[in-house]
Amino acid sequence: MSTIGEARIKVPDQINRGDVITVNSIISHPMDTGFFRTAEGAPIPAFFIKNVVVTYGTREVARFEWTSGISRNPVVSFTLKADREAPLTMVWTDNHGEMFKQSTNISFVSA
Amino acid sequence: MRDRRTFLRSFAAGVAGLMAGRSERLLAATGLVTGPEDPEVPNEEVARILKGLFGDRPIRRGHVDLDMPIVAEDGRVVPVIIESDLPMTPDHYVTGVHLIVDHNPDPHLAAFHLTPELGQVSLSTRIKMKRSTWVRAILETNTGEVWADYAKVLVTLNGCG
Repeated sequence: MSTIGEARIKVPDQINRGDVITVNSIISHPMDTGFFRTAEGAPIPAFFIKNVVVTYGTREVARFEWTSGISRNPVVSFTLKADREAPLTMVWTDNHGEMFKQSTNISFVSA
Repeated sequence: MRDRRTFLRSFAAGVAGLMAGRSERLLAATGLVTGPEDPEVPNEEVARILKGLFGDRPIRRGHVDLDMPIVAEDGRVVPVIIESDLPMTPDHYVTGVHLIVDHNPDPHLAAFHLTPELGQVSLSTRIKMKRSTWVRAILETNTGEVWADYAKVLVTLNGCG
């Protein structure tokens, strides 16, 4: 986790249709508040993820609005009702307008 | 967990008692509706945020569980868990969860907009805290109800610079 924007999404290995699963995510980002200075005294400008959009298949299921008050290398976990086999996609956007995307597939164990 | 909450509530009541005069003036000025055991609204900024988000709707305590450490040794990384027992069905669901840290430079730290597709409300993340303060987790439902839980967190190392 060193390159800015490198992201991971973790879902359970075994999912049955209808399960409410926990989705864990992390993205590498400095989340600079703009309040700090370098050792040389130069101000470090604010640089943070301000928006996260979660899409399941074609539907947007959650949207998070963040400030630089979220810790460096932001983690967020949430639940999802796994009722269809479809990709789960997260797009993180920072205050420079840079977008970072990661996906994982929601698929069910064969009965 | 229960012990901590009992302690926090009594602590909150004590603080509220001490600050009652100021709190009442601020509340009267903003028209915010809060309960007697709730933390006071500490400044104009938090009052403005609450008013902007929830207007005149009462902010009631219940249906939300805000789980945070009593003491955060490092204000740069403070874990937050927010859960609710409210339903997430197409007819009745939680539309948004707001995290407000009273004494942070930017108190309205995060907003989580949710849909019934999540199945339940269970969120966790890590936040920065400048100093010891109340944290508010306030959610609203699609029918316009507003529910809250509060946690007093003691911060030993400033995480905001």
